Amino acid sequence: MRRTIRTGAAALAAVLALAACGRDAGGGQEEATAVAEGKATGEITVWAMGTEGEKLADFAKEFTAENPEATVNVTAVPWDAAHQKIASAIAAKQTPDVSMIGTTWQGEFAKTGALDPTPPDLFKKDDFFPGAWDTTVVDGTAYGVPWYVETRLVYYRKDLAAQAGFPEGPKSWDDLKAMAKGMKEKAGATWGMNLQPGKTGSWQSVLPFAWSNGAEVATEDTLSFGTPELTEALAYYQSFFTEGLAPTALPDGALEPGFVKGEIGAFISGPWHMGIVEEQGGPGFKDKYAVARMPAKKSSTSFIGGSNLAVFKDAKNRDAGWKFVQWLSKPEVQVKWYQAVKDLPAVQAAWEDPTLSGDTFLATFGDQLADAKAPPAIPTWEQIAAAFDVEVEKLCKQNTDPAATAKAIQDQATAIGTGA
Amino acid sequence: MVRTRDRVAKAVLYAVLVLGLLAVVGPFVWMALSSVKPEAEIREVPPTWWPETVTLENFRELFSRLDFPLYFFNSTLVAAAVTAGNLLFCSLVGYALAKLRYPGKRLLFLAVLGMLMVPGMVTFVPQFVLVSNMGLTNSYAGLILPFLVGPFGVFLMRQFLLSIPDDLIEAARVDGAGELRIFWRVVLPLCRPALATLGILTFLASWNNFLWPLVVATTEDRYTLPVALALYSVGQNKTDYGLLLAGAVVVVVPVLVVFLFLQRHFMRGIATTGLK
Amino acid sequence: MTSAPAAAAPARPVGAERSDRSAGPVRRRQRLRRALTGWAFSAPFTVLFLVFMAVPVVVSLAMSFTDLRSTDLRNPFAVNVVGFDNYARLFRDELFLRASVNTLVFVAVGVPLTIVVALAAASALNSALVRFRALFRVGFYLPVVTSIVAVAVVWRFLLDPEVGLLNNVLRVVGVEGPNWLGSTTTALPSLIVMAVWRNFGFLMVIFLAGLQAIPGDLYEAARLDGATRWQQFRTVTLPLLRPTLLFGGVVTGIGYLQLFEEPFVMTQGGPLSSTLSVSYHIYNQFGFGNYGYAAAASYVLFVAIVALSVLQFRLLGERS
Repeated sequence: MRRTIRTGAAALAAVLALAACGRDAGGGQEEATAVAEGKATGEITVWAMGTEGEKLADFAKEFTAENPEATVNVTAVPWDAAHQKIASAIAAKQTPDVSMIGTTWQGEFAKTGALDPTPPDLFKKDDFFPGAWDTTVVDGTAYGVPWYVETRLVYYRKDLAAQAGFPEGPKSWDDLKAMAKGMKEKAGATWGMNLQPGKTGSWQSVLPFAWSNGAEVATEDTLSFGTPELTEALAYYQSFFTEGLAPTALPDGALEPGFVKGEIGAFISGPWHMGIVEEQGGPGFKDKYAVARMPAKKSSTSFIGGSNLAVFKDAKNRDAGWKFVQWLSKPEVQVKWYQAVKDLPAVQAAWEDPTLSGDTFLATFGDQLADAKAPPAIPTWEQIAAAFDVEVEKLCKQNTDPAATAKAIQDQATAIGTGA
Repeated sequence: MVRTRDRVAKAVLYAVLVLGLLAVVGPFVWMALSSVKPEAEIREVPPTWWPETVTLENFRELFSRLDFPLYFFNSTLVAAAVTAGNLLFCSLVGYALAKLRYPGKRLLFLAVLGMLMVPGMVTFVPQFVLVSNMGLTNSYAGLILPFLVGPFGVFLMRQFLLSIPDDLIEAARVDGAGELRIFWRVVLPLCRPALATLGILTFLASWNNFLWPLVVATTEDRYTLPVALALYSVGQNKTDYGLLLAGAVVVVVPVLVVFLFLQRHFMRGIATTGLK
Repeated sequence: MTSAPAAAAPARPVGAERSDRSAGPVRRRQRLRRALTGWAFSAPFTVLFLVFMAVPVVVSLAMSFTDLRSTDLRNPFAVNVVGFDNYARLFRDELFLRASVNTLVFVAVGVPLTIVVALAAASALNSALVRFRALFRVGFYLPVVTSIVAVAVVWRFLLDPEVGLLNNVLRVVGVEGPNWLGSTTTALPSLIVMAVWRNFGFLMVIFLAGLQAIPGDLYEAARLDGATRWQQFRTVTLPLLRPTLLFGGVVTGIGYLQLFEEPFVMTQGGPLSSTLSVSYHIYNQFGFGNYGYAAAASYVLFVAIVALSVLQFRLLGERS
């Protein structure tokens, strides 16, 4: 008897608690508040991931020199599970003042209401690469600013490309295909090109082709994967596999050694691969390879990624936090930051510095950054991307029809929604 | 006749065991050997076995970038506290569940088993919000308290304690000993294998725990070793395998030390001494 | 003194005889004392358990009946209660169903296999025939403590279709091995073998403890009665090992139903979701921010775990 009463009471309490739940229709644009004038004061807590986290504390000493009443307290956070850490901090309202945020997380965190809108008096949208700025915009408001960027280029073996008849690298879609073929047939490579055949992150290799073909793909409000432009791009992507130019099952870790040995002629990746490939290839390898812009169809558009900086609404020291972010966005500071950690600056003016414009490879990255897009900052993007990856895997490994693939992606994306 | 049969059995047994041993130590040996290889060689496909170039660079870089003593201390403190807590409290409850009679005992055991079966991930965020509302973020208490006891330990001790003969306990009770004294003096010494097992498994789990310390600590001085190691080796787009493997070797050494120390207690004969 | 095995003595509850002799208030006082002792022993555990474990479980269960997403984390009450909607959606979710099949296969094959291997290893190491037991004990436990990264590299190499050890050995006998991790039919079996390899050490340690608790006199007695080693195993070891076997079975079953690390590191759930496990699917859903949905999936998994454990308790539990 007692037990029934007790369970009954517990159930009632649970029902009442649940009854207290309910969504109200909300959302829409948020107004940003201006930041107070003057130097920064007080303690500024910052979270940053990986190498950035390691080096930022030291780097920030210049900021504290200019703002003697402020101290910057940096906590380095591992990339592994950083997303979970920030989400948990938001749930428990234990956020720092400033945090580094991956571009694909921006939509989700902005929608939680935890991020502070970017104050328009401190930052100008046009200072940054357009693709990068777009990653901070949710529902028409910018939450945070881009900090550093990365984009994808075609890495190729100069010697093999020359033998294939493309000493200057590929310029168009046809060029790329012909070069891959030539590398295989005339230069003796096992694979002319390495493309990611589905699985996590393959969308970052496929969408540049879609964008270069004029496909809109997705905006904050619409999802349009079922277009002929995307189908054409998928067909092009698939053809590398069906024609035996790209491997469908390259073992993990085999890419860099393969590229160095000349077994793999080309691949698509970001700036970090320069270091890996040169370390693997040893001294002198830098002369054997080159990077080229994404091959052009209607345009030569690539993917832009990187990280943004955001200030939290629950920040204890909001104004100083924004001032610190503003300092990090100065072109001179962006150049110095590149010199410290090799992160490509998100501020366009920084690229005029000879450190960046003087290096041919870097200059190509800078060139591509002007025409690089990112997916919309919607909270459901990761889930849509996962569905995209699954369909692409079928496309590459099971030869499914590109139009059917595009339709399947569109159907799943519509079911997932934009999380509005 | 028996002797030859014995010898053949012995030979076969040894052969199987040695083969088994070779099969299991492979990755561990590769991990240890590769931690002294340069990054490029680690990435070689097919993987090399013996290092072509031996370099201590990975370890040097690890120790210079990492405040090793701090993180080692944090990990040791947390793991030791959690292990001690589990050994003590889980054996207390296990004994009560196995040998004592009291109301609500069955419900408690069912709750323990139920908890054991709840998939780990689902309680993570609520647990963190709870701990932070208690003001325990970024503290050793926050790192230790949620793990001080565990359903696994209770289940293990209870099962093991079931097999302790009741006559022993009865005899002590007849001699007028209090329950706690019986537990401490009579029962616990018989449990050395189970305690050693629980100790090793709890220590290992706590030592390697990654996600909780990462989320609970808001400043680096409360990070544990696995968190700090991940910080330096895994990047947004690339992984530093040299550091990762050096870190893995560094992390595994204390666990092996604890294992070597405790495994001596899987000794035959302790359980039999009480029966006379 | 040789006697019947200890388990034959009835597991009588504490103090039962005494209460027969006294009456009324003495009995009540004794019952009170027993209850207090029992709860005193259980108190530290129970308090910590209720606070740090029970509360989060209740909260997350409630979460599974809502459409809570990660974007609601700052305002967790501003969500819609959707009842069993999440649960219903799960069973229409192709990926979840695929993951369930994969996980069930994994458990059905992996659990018995791991138990057999672990028991064999523990018995071998417990036997007086073997020297250097410590070496073997540490060795067999190594896979449990080796970094999953190292394990992944070596296993990927082993199973590599071109340069891998396994296929090269098969080539010697004229068999052309498949692309173990790249084929939808062989990927899951390969992961099962890898999981058994990785986890049997953990179970072996537990079985060793259980084997050590069996008094040597019993084997002596059985040997004097003329039993062979196998018969000794069946009549002395197995029955006395029952609680430990039950424990091992339940714990391994629970662990394998939550298979995550192996597919995560080796195949990322592929190829084509043939190695996607339920836990991995849940992890992905949490990653996407679908907290309510992921919680529902977790509790479905919980039901499966309970079902398997109940089955094991029926088969191996105490006969009381």
